[in-house]
Amino acid sequence: MKENEWKWALTIFIIILLAYILPYTIITEVAKWYGSLLLWIVLTLTVIIINYFITKNWGK
Amino acid sequence: MSTTYVWWAIAIYVLASLFVAFLSRSEKQTSMSSYFIGDRKLNGFVSALSYSATTYSAFMLVGLAGLTYMGGVGALGFELIYLMGVSLVAFFGPRFWLVGKKYGYVTPSEMLGDRYNNKSVAIVVSIFSCLFLIPYSAVQLAGVGYLLQGMTNNAISFTTGVIIATVLAIVFSFIAGIRSVAWTDSLQALFMIVTSTIVVIIIISRLGGLGDFLHTLETNHAELLTVPGNGFWSFTTFLGMTIPWFFFSLSNPQVSQRLYMPKSLKSLKTMLMGFMIFGFIYTIVAIVWGFSAAIKFPGLENADLATPLLLSSDLVPPILGVIVMVGIMAAAVSTIDSILLTLSSLFARDVYGNIKKGATDKMQLRVGKIVIPIIAILAYLFAELEVNLIAVLSVASSAGLLVVVPAIIGTFFWKRGTAAGVLTSVIVSGIIIIIIELTQIKPLGLASGIWGIVISTLLFIIVSLLTKAPEQKASEFLGYIKVALKNETK
Repeated sequence: MKENEWKWALTIFIIILLAYILPYTIITEVAKWYGSLLLWIVLTLTVIIINYFITKNWGK
Repeated sequence: MSTTYVWWAIAIYVLASLFVAFLSRSEKQTSMSSYFIGDRKLNGFVSALSYSATTYSAFMLVGLAGLTYMGGVGALGFELIYLMGVSLVAFFGPRFWLVGKKYGYVTPSEMLGDRYNNKSVAIVVSIFSCLFLIPYSAVQLAGVGYLLQGMTNNAISFTTGVIIATVLAIVFSFIAGIRSVAWTDSLQALFMIVTSTIVVIIIISRLGGLGDFLHTLETNHAELLTVPGNGFWSFTTFLGMTIPWFFFSLSNPQVSQRLYMPKSLKSLKTMLMGFMIFGFIYTIVAIVWGFSAAIKFPGLENADLATPLLLSSDLVPPILGVIVMVGIMAAAVSTIDSILLTLSSLFARDVYGNIKKGATDKMQLRVGKIVIPIIAILAYLFAELEVNLIAVLSVASSAGLLVVVPAIIGTFFWKRGTAAGVLTSVIVSGIIIIIIELTQIKPLGLASGIWGIVISTLLFIIVSLLTKAPEQKASEFLGYIKVALKNETK
């Protein structure tokens, strides 16, 4: 893997870990729209944006 | 809901799809590569829509909505972790695409066989894919059956629904192979997302707008907004369901084969980004759907009924209800036809092509076309067994396909991987998963998919280290990727 690929892969990995850990720990009692519902949506949007940056120069 | 409406809607859907399928026919498709992967010339937009239609099936608005209904927001986490997992395409996609073009691969298992320098690898991986994907298609067919039956109060029987879906899937894949599949997929993808999004917006506004909707959830159904919440989404269940889906984009050949099809890396990029946006919207729609059903019809025993009930309720204008129902049907059919086509290509290319000596490309194509209806009929027979928990069976089959993942990762990132390693890991862990699913035992409380990925990884590594790697092939293969990747992605 190229060096910048490693960096992106690690970032995505950490985000996904958060998606597993946070809802079952810190916000497991937050029964509001801004609890797990919002968290998962925000994490996913972040990953989508990262994908945009990874693929930006493809085919150029 | 009026049965006449339903028949009309189905008729219009079938005619429109057939029209698009016929339009998609171009010059004669006389080779495996043109029939099954469109000569590697698919544009980005069609690739994205078709990838979406293939991935998202009746499971979303029926199964996922049902999971939301039963267990709450955990269903969102489950589906979004899958979507984040599609980032694997950002790393594996260009690699698949580059070697596909250089070595002329038509199927992912053909690639594995070549990279590990062993025909049995291609044969075994293909057979296991068929073994797990036929039940998965059957679940989709059954989904259509239940939907039509539920929506028309048994006026259209389960069997009629299943037969309609089977016939459509065969026809869409037969007309022009991947071209008709990709184009009808695209039409169906647009149809699925537009209709369901409109209806969800209507439902929310009829429930008092987004603010009221969320407020009702918070006050009346607070347990649905957390995990483990009412206990349905225990951490082990969550893990057991998410792990197989996380690797879906690599493990399922009907989607990984798509990585060979775009005409350029730019089209591959459009496919990935387009799919992620589509997936994000469609997931939210399905989750809101499930929540709405929980607000409107609490206390159902069978959660799979949540969607049909919602569609025929006063929240949804009747005509729109029928249209969305056809959208769900389209979601199922567009998944099944792609699986059918992929499985036929696996059988023709990797099983027949490797076992029969001197099987030419033409002969493989002929076999592939003959196999399409055979596989469809097998799936039909499975569907008639009327299994009732759509989500669970769907996950069970993706758990089975997980066992190929270590071998796929090794293909691109581990020189020491060997054919013996692949064969042992796929066969042994595949059989273990089948045993776990059949007996429904959960060793240490963990689901079959987790055992599958752990055992197959260990076996792949250990057996590979004990056997001799195809060094020359590995160096040449990986060396090519390194150079080509540098040139193409800068």
